[in-house]
Amino acid sequence: MENWWRSTNACWLPVVEKYPTKSCKSGSCVNKKMPKTPIKMEETNNSRRAFLLTGLLAAGAMAGCNSGNHEVETGEAGTMKPTGKKVKLLSVDGDVIEVDEAYLKPVPELPSVSNQEARVGIDGKKFVMVIDLSRCKNLKKCQEACNHMHYVNPGQNWIKVYPMQESAHTAPYWQPTTCMHCDEPPCVKVCPVDATFKRKDGIVAIDSDRCVGCRFCMAACPYSTRVFNWSAPEIPEEVASRPYSCETSVPQKKGTVGKCDFCPDMARKGELPHCVSACPNGTFFFGDLNEDSVTNGAETFRFSDLIRDKGGYRLMEDMGTKPSVYYLPAVDRNFPFQPDAEDSISTSDSK
Amino acid sequence: MEKSPIANETIIRDLLPQKFGMRGKLWTALLICICLVGAYAYFLQLKDGLAVTHMRDYVSWGIYISNFVFFVAISLVGSLITAVLRLANVHWSTPLTRIAEMIAVGAIMFAALIIIVDMGRPERLYFLFLHGRVQSPIMWDVIVITTYFFISLLLLYYPLLPDLKIMLEHREQTDRKLNRLYSMLGSFWKGSSKQSRLSRRAIRILCITIIPVAFSIHTVTSWLFATTYRPGWDSTNFGAYFISGAFLVGAGSVLVAMYVFRRNYRLEKYITLRHFDNMGKIVVLLGLIYLYFNINEYLVPAFKMKRSEDALLTSLFAGDFAPYFWFAILAGMIVPILILVTRKGRRPMPSFIAGCLVVVGAWFKRYVIVTPTLLHPFLPMYNVPASFRHYFPSWQEWAIAMGSLAGALLIITLLSRIFPIIPIEETIKENNETHR
Amino acid sequence: MKRIDKCCHYGLLLLLLISGSTAPAQDSLKGDLNMTVGYVLENNQVPYVLAHVQTKVNRRFRPVTGIPIKLYLNSDSAANLVGQLLTDDQGKAASTIPGALAATWGKTDKHRFVAVFTGDEKFNPARAEATVSRAKIQIDTLPDKKIAVQIFEKKDSSWVPAKGVDVSISVKRFGANLNVNETATFSTDSTGTVTADFKRNNIPGDKNGNITIVARVDDNDQYGTLVLEKALPWGAPFVYKDDFQKRSLYATRNKAPIWLLFMSYFMAISVWGVLLWLIRNLFRIRKLGLTAQD
Repeated sequence: MENWWRSTNACWLPVVEKYPTKSCKSGSCVNKKMPKTPIKMEETNNSRRAFLLTGLLAAGAMAGCNSGNHEVETGEAGTMKPTGKKVKLLSVDGDVIEVDEAYLKPVPELPSVSNQEARVGIDGKKFVMVIDLSRCKNLKKCQEACNHMHYVNPGQNWIKVYPMQESAHTAPYWQPTTCMHCDEPPCVKVCPVDATFKRKDGIVAIDSDRCVGCRFCMAACPYSTRVFNWSAPEIPEEVASRPYSCETSVPQKKGTVGKCDFCPDMARKGELPHCVSACPNGTFFFGDLNEDSVTNGAETFRFSDLIRDKGGYRLMEDMGTKPSVYYLPAVDRNFPFQPDAEDSISTSDSK
Repeated sequence: MEKSPIANETIIRDLLPQKFGMRGKLWTALLICICLVGAYAYFLQLKDGLAVTHMRDYVSWGIYISNFVFFVAISLVGSLITAVLRLANVHWSTPLTRIAEMIAVGAIMFAALIIIVDMGRPERLYFLFLHGRVQSPIMWDVIVITTYFFISLLLLYYPLLPDLKIMLEHREQTDRKLNRLYSMLGSFWKGSSKQSRLSRRAIRILCITIIPVAFSIHTVTSWLFATTYRPGWDSTNFGAYFISGAFLVGAGSVLVAMYVFRRNYRLEKYITLRHFDNMGKIVVLLGLIYLYFNINEYLVPAFKMKRSEDALLTSLFAGDFAPYFWFAILAGMIVPILILVTRKGRRPMPSFIAGCLVVVGAWFKRYVIVTPTLLHPFLPMYNVPASFRHYFPSWQEWAIAMGSLAGALLIITLLSRIFPIIPIEETIKENNETHR
Repeated sequence: MKRIDKCCHYGLLLLLLISGSTAPAQDSLKGDLNMTVGYVLENNQVPYVLAHVQTKVNRRFRPVTGIPIKLYLNSDSAANLVGQLLTDDQGKAASTIPGALAATWGKTDKHRFVAVFTGDEKFNPARAEATVSRAKIQIDTLPDKKIAVQIFEKKDSSWVPAKGVDVSISVKRFGANLNVNETATFSTDSTGTVTADFKRNNIPGDKNGNITIVARVDDNDQYGTLVLEKALPWGAPFVYKDDFQKRSLYATRNKAPIWLLFMSYFMAISVWGVLLWLIRNLFRIRKLGLTAQD
């Protein structure tokens, strides 16, 4: 137990969830810091203690999943065999309970999701984003956060904030534009090598280890959301040497395509994408369409209510791409539209 | 019009591959130099990534892709001259068939190479075979181009067999190394009736097969653009439009090659004024067809001026791209038609000029198809570096593009050095037949 | 333990040296930490103490990772050490309460938690305290889809209702929970109860229509954080379906549409069949030529 605290990613077991409970429908979500093996414990005499402990350890093992029909997997880092040495902890009522020491050792960072799992996606979810245009003030905090967390090349952005004005007499507004994660993605249709793919949870992801750099997807995307790594990305050494995952999209590789990924690594932890958390006005709402709920971190709404009451719409609906990003029109604004220094308002070609 | 019969021996002597003179050597050396510069530029591109080009996120496809389309277009000449005319039992085109096949082989090889050059990760080329998705138009393109390459090789090889025999019979007139090549390739050809029958049937089948494949390659290449939503590309017209353009540029390139070979190898007896006359008429016809498709392609959207197409069409007709667009239309179609529509215009020299205009105009036309559309995306170009907002190729791109053109010409040149430009045996046969 | 003590030793020494020898300007180079400590009880499982460390960067708070914190119960002494932790990438560190402190714990109903950071080269030392009374939370349902949440406080070995506590009642969802009606938080009345109408009709639940109601007291000054969940059958049944296995133009390579597979294979096989026949034909010609020699 000597130097356990030096490992930076140590997590305490049997701490169930350190932070607000995350939900996942069928137990196959992964909390990186929790082992995947079921933790069995010897039954103590006190049945209530046993109940509490089994409950909390199982919950700890499955990290917030509703226990029930969760799948039990053995994780590589987690062969949690009881050592036989017990440690005493205080339960909720102040009773002393005994937990095997093995379960208290910090668990090293688990390997991230495998390529196969990353290509299938998170079961049970259908991610959707709602962007409230009446709140966007072109602060570009979303861009900053996204570019920072994904080490996007300078000059490029995965989120673009456009000044939009459909025609001379219609209202101008700022439109943050992420990848639409279309349900019929034109980019996925044209990829020759399955480097970009549509997952179960609705996310369209890119595998930079597969991409051959033909850039057909960039030509096919009507929302101009994709960017290309024309040269080797300038990223710090420790980032460049991280193992690549389609879910983190880090590190980016030379000669491949990149785009907004709805932060699936955050979604697996039950957290919101970085842009959603970064916006000080709460412009971005993110959630699960299957749960009919979207949140910007501070406010949560029923998705259907929000779209119905505020007249939500999608971009370029007539293309038939079926995007997963909805926009709420810029009405009842608290602040007027202020053009940027860079461009005068340019008319967009299509809604 | 009766022509005096030419002795077989004369034919053979005239048509056997000749050594390069000073001009030939200089030409080859020039082409090799351009290729080497292109290779060096490619090495730089491999080292530093595609950033050495001036393609950026908006114009993500540049002159590599327009070169690719250009090559695929030219390669259709093989199917036109060799297959279509042969099947139509046209005999005057016989001298031109091998030229057409050589151009086709050279062009299709470099189409494949320039596409690999355009890839961001060329070392992952094998993924196309290991992980290929049949839903992707790029996979269709890979399959049909490979198929067409093999068909063109076969269509070059089969009619070559009788000529190989003739060349081997006259081996003292050719180089020793070349003789070894000839015997390796075709020493088994005896000219027996059985062999001739098999060969004739095979050539006929090849000619029939190559036509749908040729239509496929350029249709599929056009679908690389037509399967996207972009203004200027989102057109149902693209397959036919591209194929008609391909036939035109192929015929134009044959006009050029005819003139060059005729001049340099003194083939006036074989590539006669009649050939220029007929090819000229064919180019006029193809030019009119292509012009018709162009009118459909540009006039109809211009009538509607949909918002997404407004800015694009304006820039093509009267804006930044107007010089290129009008040059492609005028030089690529209208002027050659005007030249070749008169009898005097169909003489060798004016035909050659018209052919050159067609080819150069076609190259600019492909550029005008690829780049302007990419500069008119649906959502505004905003908050991007200045280099993203326009496109002019960098020297490395020019070097590589010119290198690929030089490479295709080099292949044609080498093929013309190794193999007789005009099919010897067929010429003898036809000569005998007309003067029987 | 020894190494930690040694480290703190050196840390302190360093602090002394620095503070003693340098001008005030150098001290101000070190950042200040904003540290909070709280008590969390979730779903009546093992409670834990949560420390949260942030620092102000450009007028915004940012989490600080890798800060070693010592947590104590009631007082700073080593005997009352709850745990020693490093903050994670969100600046948070949590620890359960070791059984050895059972005696101290059982003595009083109110507990004081102290978090101490002894400082390092980048940050000044910091300290945070919180006093919590033991409390528990209870969820009941009333007719007409009403939810009653009660908060009790432990006073002298009996549970008394806790008044004026802010409670949020919500449906458990992804990312953040959805309030059961428009009111964000309710305040408990004199009986420690809060009643809320469940207004989220037909909210999708699991395939049987079960949803989880979450009653939450968030960072209360007296009671810390209390969370309790309860499953109720008040949602609309939702059966998860997705098109992932369907054949389509945008599916993976092994799920191409049948018509496309048929067309492309048919064309490829027929053309290549012809080509292969032609190559075989060449070999026949060759054989004819070679045998004729004899």
